[in-house]
Amino acid sequence: MMLLDIRSLSKTYPNGTQALKSVSFTVERGEFVAVIGLSGSGKSTLLRCINRLIEPSSGTILFDGQDVTHIKGEALRHYRQRIGMIFQQFNLIGQASVLKNVLMGALGSVSTIDSILGRFPQSLHEMALRNLQIVGIADKASERADSLSGGQQQRVAIARALMQEPQLLLADEPVASLDPATSHSVMRYLGYINRQLGTTIICNLHFLSLVREYASRAIALRNGEIVFDGSPSEITEEWFRHIYGEDAVEVEIR
Amino acid sequence: MKQRIAGFLFDWLVGAYLAVMLHRIVWQELLLGVDSALSSAPSNSGAVIAGIPVWLVYGAVGLVLAIAASISKVSIALLVQGKLERTMWQRTAALHIASLLLSLTFITGWVVTKISLVDMFSGERLRAAGRIFSNLLQPEFAILPQALSAIVETVYLAFMATVLALPASFVLAFLSARNLMRGNVWTRATYTFLRALTNFTRSIEPLVWAVIFTVWVKVGPFPGMLALMVHTISSLAKQYSEQIEDIDPGPMEAIASTGARPLQIVWFGVVPQVFIPFLSFTIYRWDINVRMATVIGLVGGGGIGTMLNQYQMLAQWREVGLIVLVIALVVWAMDYISARIREALA
Repeated sequence: MMLLDIRSLSKTYPNGTQALKSVSFTVERGEFVAVIGLSGSGKSTLLRCINRLIEPSSGTILFDGQDVTHIKGEALRHYRQRIGMIFQQFNLIGQASVLKNVLMGALGSVSTIDSILGRFPQSLHEMALRNLQIVGIADKASERADSLSGGQQQRVAIARALMQEPQLLLADEPVASLDPATSHSVMRYLGYINRQLGTTIICNLHFLSLVREYASRAIALRNGEIVFDGSPSEITEEWFRHIYGEDAVEVEIR
Repeated sequence: MKQRIAGFLFDWLVGAYLAVMLHRIVWQELLLGVDSALSSAPSNSGAVIAGIPVWLVYGAVGLVLAIAASISKVSIALLVQGKLERTMWQRTAALHIASLLLSLTFITGWVVTKISLVDMFSGERLRAAGRIFSNLLQPEFAILPQALSAIVETVYLAFMATVLALPASFVLAFLSARNLMRGNVWTRATYTFLRALTNFTRSIEPLVWAVIFTVWVKVGPFPGMLALMVHTISSLAKQYSEQIEDIDPGPMEAIASTGARPLQIVWFGVVPQVFIPFLSFTIYRWDINVRMATVIGLVGGGGIGTMLNQYQMLAQWREVGLIVLVIALVVWAMDYISARIREALA
C-alpha cells in the first residue's frame, strides 16, 4: 500500500540554489526510510517539502492518493496533522513543562481560544501521559522542558509528534546533536514506533551504521538528486564513495 | 550608474554647503562682521547677489563644484564610496577638502551657537552663578510634602502611560515583526505600513505630544500621561518586534508542523520565547517614563515638572533646589530598582 508518491520534485531557493532536482520516489506504508547524503545535499529541504514547511518549486506530492502539492489554509493544516515531525534541535518550548510541550502536538485539534486558555480536554491529557510512557519519561511530565538532557528532549519531541497519531513521521537529523549512546536510545524508540504502531518513518541520518541498523530502506541524495535507492545492506564501499565523494571515510557509531 | 548619480548629487550638496559656509560665515560674519548672518536666515534668504536670489547662487556654485569634482575625480562622494585608491593624488586632495569641510563646520557651529567665554566667566556673570547655586544648595524643606505628592503623581502618571500602552504595543509588535509577516503581499504591506507608522510617531518627541495634548484635553497630568502613552506604544512596539525577530525559529516550525493555526503558532512558538524580555523592556520603559514625565510636566503635563516650572517662573530658587533634589532621589531609586528587577529576570 503506497503512502507517499513524490514525482519530479524540485526546489530552487530565491538565491538561486537548486536544493532538489527532479526527485521521484514512492514510500509504502510501514517503511522506515533513511535519507542519507552530505550536508547541503537537499535532505532537509526534501523533508520540509513533504509537509510543506517549504514550498516546492515544481513537481507533485501525492499523500494517501491525494495531491497535496498546492493545498492551502485549512486543508494544509489537516494534512500536516497527519504528519509528525522531529528535529535535530528538538525545537521544544524550553520555558514550558514537558506535559505542555507534548500537548502542543494536539494543537490542530483544539480550538485557538481553548488552547490559549490552556483548556485541553482530559482525553488529550491522558494521551499525552501515555505517549510520555511510550518514550519512557512520564516521570518528567511536570518538569521544565529545557531542564532535560538532549536525549530526553528528543523523546519529548517524539511524544509530541505521537499526539498527532501520525501516518507518517518525518525525522530531520534526530540524533545529530546527541552522543552515541543516546543516539541509539532515540533510534530504538523510532524503531519501536515504526514496528509497534505501524507509523511510516522518513529519517535523515548522517551515520551509515545507524542506517544499516534501523532503516529498511535507504535513499541517498547528492547535490539534490537521488543517486541511490535500495536496501541499506547494498551500500558498498563503492556506493559510499559515490554518495559522499572520493575522499570520504566511513565513521561508525556504536 | 545609480551610484554615480547619487555621488554627483552628494557632491552637489557638499559644494552648495561649502558655498553657504564660505559666504555667510567666513565672508559676512567673520570678515565683514555682519551679526548673525546665519541665524537671521529668513531676512537673509531673501537677499540677492547681482539681482539673483542668493540660494540660487549657492546652488549654482555647488553645481559647478560638483562638475569639477566629477571631471577631476577629486570628489567627496568617491571618497565616501571607497572608489579612490590609496595611491591616487585625488584621494589626498579629497581628504584635504573633507578636513576643510569639517573645520568650517566646527567654526560655523561656534558662530551659530554664539559661544562666549565672556558671558560665562565675567565677574557679574559669576556672581549670578553664585547666587543660583547657593540657593539651590539650600533647599526649602517647607514645600517637601507638596513636592512628594507631586512626584507621586509623576510616578503614577508614568505607570499608567506604560500600562495603558502595553496592549497596543503587544499587538503592534507581532504585526510589525518581519519574520512573522513574510506570508503574503497583504501581511508584508501591513508590516511596512506599521513599521513606517511607529517609526514616525516615535520620532516625535513626547514633549511635542504633550504640547498637542495640553491643547486637546487641557493642562494637567492627563495630557502628560497621553503624551507618554503615545510615545511608549511606538517605542515598546519597536523593542518588542526586534525581540520577536530575534527568536529561534525552530519551535515555531515545530508548532507549524503539527497543523496548528497561525495564532496558535505565534502563541505557543513565539510568546514563551519573548515573554521575559518583554517584561524587562516594560519595566525599563516605566523607569524612562518617570524621567520623561518630569520634563513633560514643564510644558503643563502635570506632576513634579509642572511644580518645578511654577517655582522657576517665580525665581524661587530654594524651592526649585528642593524639587530638583526630590526628582534626583526618585529617578535614582527607580533606576536602581528597575535595574535590580531586570537583573533578577535575566
